[in-house]
Amino acid sequence: MGLLAREIEARGVTTVGLALVKEVAIAARAPRFLYLHWPFGHALGEPGNIAQQRMVLHDMLSMATSAPRPGLVIELPYRWRRETYAPVEDWKAPSRAVISAGSF
Amino acid sequence: MQTTQSDGPVRTRAGRLNESLARWISNSARGEAFGRWISKVIALPQLRRLANGAIPWAPLRKPVSESTVVLITTAGVHLRSDPPFKLNSDPTFRIIPKDARPADLAISHQAYDRTDALRDINLVFPIERLRELEAEHVIGRLADDHYGFGLEGSAARLMPAIKGVARRIENAGADLVLLVPA
Repeated sequence: MGLLAREIEARGVTTVGLALVKEVAIAARAPRFLYLHWPFGHALGEPGNIAQQRMVLHDMLSMATSAPRPGLVIELPYRWRRETYAPVEDWKAPSRAVISAGSF
Repeated sequence: MQTTQSDGPVRTRAGRLNESLARWISNSARGEAFGRWISKVIALPQLRRLANGAIPWAPLRKPVSESTVVLITTAGVHLRSDPPFKLNSDPTFRIIPKDARPADLAISHQAYDRTDALRDINLVFPIERLRELEAEHVIGRLADDHYGFGLEGSAARLMPAIKGVARRIENAGADLVLLVPA
């Protein structure tokens, strides 16, 4: 998936990937990755948890606008099945999780 | 080969051994550790060879609320009406239209437990969430075509499909691509 992101970005299109294996995301040297320590098949979280899915998408959109340099793999702070997800209030404001984890 | 559900995606069945292995990898601590280990063993040497040179960098040209967004999944998602991916190794891609409903989709992949993704396709292909974000004007536009890849251990074999999809996305005038793994 990192190679796909590299090829697309090389054609001038912004990419953001989710990753479930941190070492592979780092080795891929892709433009922008968000890493989650969640099980395979669950990159957006748990079935039916729309607030969680929207939170991860907000983080991806924030990464698209906020990442200051190529090659960052930002680890999101969410524990598996032990978080409560509040609705995203302002989609134009960058995600706090991405800003603080990336120290942007 | 396939079971039918009325409102959700269908599963292309893998062999019993593979299904048990995939469930073990997705649902137990030891299985998950094994899954991570095998991913590294397969991917790292290939990435060292292929992901070299400068990291490409194309900052977003316009606000997200004006951007055309493309979704790519490597979790084996495809239209039910298209040929399924070969379960153990398939270097091709499938186009998934923006208006695809969960019941129009199928998952053909044998390396993870698809039970939850079949219940909610958005876990690996959040197309319904993105349609909502388009309707809410959070994103500018959802592109007409989105892409599914299956399981393929050889990056070299995948490269023609990767280049083909990158070219299609550029030609479609997309601004932002979101990639979701298995």
